[in-house]
Amino acid sequence: MAKVKVSLRYCGSCNPHVDLGRIAHHLAGVANRRGDLLLVAGTEESVDIAVILCGCERSCGATKEAMDNAKFSIVVAGENLSATPVPEAQLPLIVEKELARIIEMFQAR
Amino acid sequence: MMNGQQYRDSLRHLKPKVYFMGEEIHDVTSDPSIMPHINAAAVTYDMALAPEYEALLSAKSHITGKTISLFTHIHHSHDDLVKKVKMLRATGQQTGSCFQRCVGHDGLNAIYSVTYDIDRAKGTDYHNKFNNFLREAQEKDIFITGAMTDPKGDRSLPPSRQKDLDSFVHIIERRVDGIVVSGAKAHITGAVNAHGHLVMPTMSLDEADSDYAVCFYVPVDAPGLIHIFGRQTNDTRKCGGCAIDAGNAEYGIVGGEALVVFDQVFVPFEHVFMCGEHEFAYSLVERFATAHRQNYGGCKSGLADALIGAALLISEAQGTEKATHIKEKLVDMVHLAETLYSCAIACSCQGYALPAGNYMANPLLANVAKLNVTRNVYEIARLAQDIAGGVLATTPSELDWRDPVVGRYVDKYMAGVAGVPAETRMRLVRLLEAMTCGTALVESMHGAGSPQALRVMIGRQANLEHKKRLAKKLAKIDE
Repeated sequence: MAKVKVSLRYCGSCNPHVDLGRIAHHLAGVANRRGDLLLVAGTEESVDIAVILCGCERSCGATKEAMDNAKFSIVVAGENLSATPVPEAQLPLIVEKELARIIEMFQAR
Repeated sequence: MMNGQQYRDSLRHLKPKVYFMGEEIHDVTSDPSIMPHINAAAVTYDMALAPEYEALLSAKSHITGKTISLFTHIHHSHDDLVKKVKMLRATGQQTGSCFQRCVGHDGLNAIYSVTYDIDRAKGTDYHNKFNNFLREAQEKDIFITGAMTDPKGDRSLPPSRQKDLDSFVHIIERRVDGIVVSGAKAHITGAVNAHGHLVMPTMSLDEADSDYAVCFYVPVDAPGLIHIFGRQTNDTRKCGGCAIDAGNAEYGIVGGEALVVFDQVFVPFEHVFMCGEHEFAYSLVERFATAHRQNYGGCKSGLADALIGAALLISEAQGTEKATHIKEKLVDMVHLAETLYSCAIACSCQGYALPAGNYMANPLLANVAKLNVTRNVYEIARLAQDIAGGVLATTPSELDWRDPVVGRYVDKYMAGVAGVPAETRMRLVRLLEAMTCGTALVESMHGAGSPQALRVMIGRQANLEHKKRLAKKLAKIDE
């Protein structure tokens, strides 16, 4: 089965309220463990899932261009995931769960 | 949408209890103390229908798809937030004064988002009820005030421990069909010439203060509601046939604020949008405050546009416009005004979507915008007064200008350069006086939040830990 292509895009990090690198590092570990997803750079075109990592609620990384480049998007904006508040300490795990949910949807197709 | 005259006519059908200067006012539309504020609000109606302004003052309702006043619109994009600022500037340029409807507009947006949050957390039905109210507000194009500030009593004590429990609006009775509330709201802009009030809590609340966690809409003439109109600098100049001395005779100064008393007012549940959910009071306050602080960079830069024009005109009338220091002062005024506008645009562009789907301005930058207003407006006023000269404080009355005995002396000595009659110079002086003295300045200081409240928010939002990490990295200090 083809791997699910997941890109990691950063906002630019001018005002990080959370440690975005920690989330990215956690997802790299998830990719190694799972084996069914391929983590690619944010500049990669036409990906399955875009994980858009924004340091604060301004969500500068969640541009139309970024969202249109992927079939699904997960947006972290400071201590928020897709507009739902999430404490920083829980962000890596919550992002992982959301990623797993979307991958499951892909694989069910 | 209504036009300005229809808005005035709609007020005549209402019977609010209004008091001013020891008398009850039975018809606000014919009272000289209130008419300028009605005129200012009427401008928001007329501009929404004018071809050159409708793009800024109207929007498409996300509920019905119909064209509505921007003042009843829920923001759904960065563009919407930016448009609000531009709308406020354009309207402020026309009135030279507060036009009052933005407070209720900000209340609508804040409550839209918080009712959604409450429902999601508690399984209530506030958002649906609010949308029903919003649909009606949009279709009837009503003027809604935003009533947040309580008199507060002893500010070191929470609401439920006040000596006078009415220091904050609260629920005193729960019935099967609604609630009864008691208390008062202070400094309510446009209260006496609105169609109704959107009432919100004024601070974060804990469980002991649950009865104070109340948000609702009430028509301006609901039984038990009493409006006590506040005094302003030079307010008696609105009366007695001194239109020139009034300065901004058509639109007044500031919005016309009132103390609104809730003397056992019944509110049906269909208009109750928070009833005890104290955990959400702070969200409502913060979102409303952010939206409202965003505004001031728009409206105050609009007022400044007119004020800069008046300062330039008075310098031309007095023959000083070519002096280098006058030109420099005008540039300073423009710089200060555009700084305010820049802040409002910035907080709009850096806004974001809330879970309900509507957009809010960036809180840090909105508070910066308002804090700049508390300083820049005073400096703009000071520069205008500097340019105008001492005549600002000594100009004879319009009545003396019209007097058969001394009028000719006023006419002779108040005239400006050749071709500028005394009347023109006096009109400019009075406009400058109205816009730069007294109540006009205080409103810029305290409206939407006093300086210390803004500083507290800026401190909270400043991301100081990140700044420390930056410095440590540059100074090569290990963690």
